Amino acid sequence: MADESEDLKNLWQSQPSDPYGIRRGDFRQKMRKFERRIFWRNVREYAAGAVVIAAFTRYEWKFHGLLVRLGSGLIIAGTLYVMYQLHRRASLRPAPADMGLSPCIEFHRKTLERQRDALQTIWSWYLLPFVPGLTVFVVGSILDRWAAHPENLEHLILNSLGPSAIMAAVFLVAWRLNRRAAARLQAQIDELNDLGDNGDSRP
Amino acid sequence: MASREDLYEEAVRTHGPALDRLSRAYEANPEARRDLLQEIHLALWRSLESFDARCSLRTWIYRVAHNVASSHVDADRRSKARQPVSIDGLDLADEGFDTASVADRRMAIERLMELIRELKPLDRQLMLLFLEGVDAGGIAEVTGLSPGNVATKIHRIKNILIRRFHIGGEHGR
Repeated sequence: MADESEDLKNLWQSQPSDPYGIRRGDFRQKMRKFERRIFWRNVREYAAGAVVIAAFTRYEWKFHGLLVRLGSGLIIAGTLYVMYQLHRRASLRPAPADMGLSPCIEFHRKTLERQRDALQTIWSWYLLPFVPGLTVFVVGSILDRWAAHPENLEHLILNSLGPSAIMAAVFLVAWRLNRRAAARLQAQIDELNDLGDNGDSRP
Repeated sequence: MASREDLYEEAVRTHGPALDRLSRAYEANPEARRDLLQEIHLALWRSLESFDARCSLRTWIYRVAHNVASSHVDADRRSKARQPVSIDGLDLADEGFDTASVADRRMAIERLMELIRELKPLDRQLMLLFLEGVDAGGIAEVTGLSPGNVATKIHRIKNILIRRFHIGGEHGR
């Protein structure tokens, strides 16, 4: 069987390959170009956040009610916080310089652990920051409309219950899906622990 | 101790073609593949500053290359929600290739690339290191898998390759 697999190894290694290498003087320039590309890739990732900020900045000018404007401001602040957290936890970065020190299993495990931690705590850094702003914004909208039509308060509250319930359900579903994804990552981490040295390659 | 530039040039001379094959095995899209290969070379160059010969240069090169390529695939997989499979989950179906024929050899390489791209990160690394002729001890050092697990998985890989690709023409059947 060993000799037979040698044939495929030879076939694999005899593939034509494009010679590639970076000349001594070109490293810094190529590294700068590469970092610029990563920067713009990250900027594209934050496009959704920029849209939310643009929309609620417009509300700051469009609406006159204090609470609606305060809610818009809180939503903008929440979005900025979430973007910062996304940058901290999930942005693309050049590979760390000490990468060759870690065996692949260790590197892979750390990557999975980072992703698991981000998903497990998604409530606190991704969902919760929007709650104060959204709550104040909804309450402010109700009070603004009540000021215009004082006789309809009950009706206004009932009307806002549907959209608020949908929003709460979306948050709950997002939280539960991410918890489930975190559990799947944990299963992969456990599998890696079983594959390492003596069943566990942790130092 | 050689300078970072000297080490990099040695790495390209000794493992340049292997890095090219590795990037092709990880990334099917030609443009993304060139980006990945460049990213591997830049990461390697940066990393060689901390190379202190505690492991061989070969082990260092493969660790950096596979770790960079795995991160690349991981980001891509998350965006496409594609689930990788384990070596143990692959069936031993006959691909119908005979590696004695030139046309079949080319197709066999393509199919082999596709097969590798379907694998879980560690299985993919193991398969590539095996195909590059790295021995079991070297694979254990690069991947961090226990020698026992490396031996078991190599046995499985050989079975898959022999059954699927009719290695060695008639006698592989």
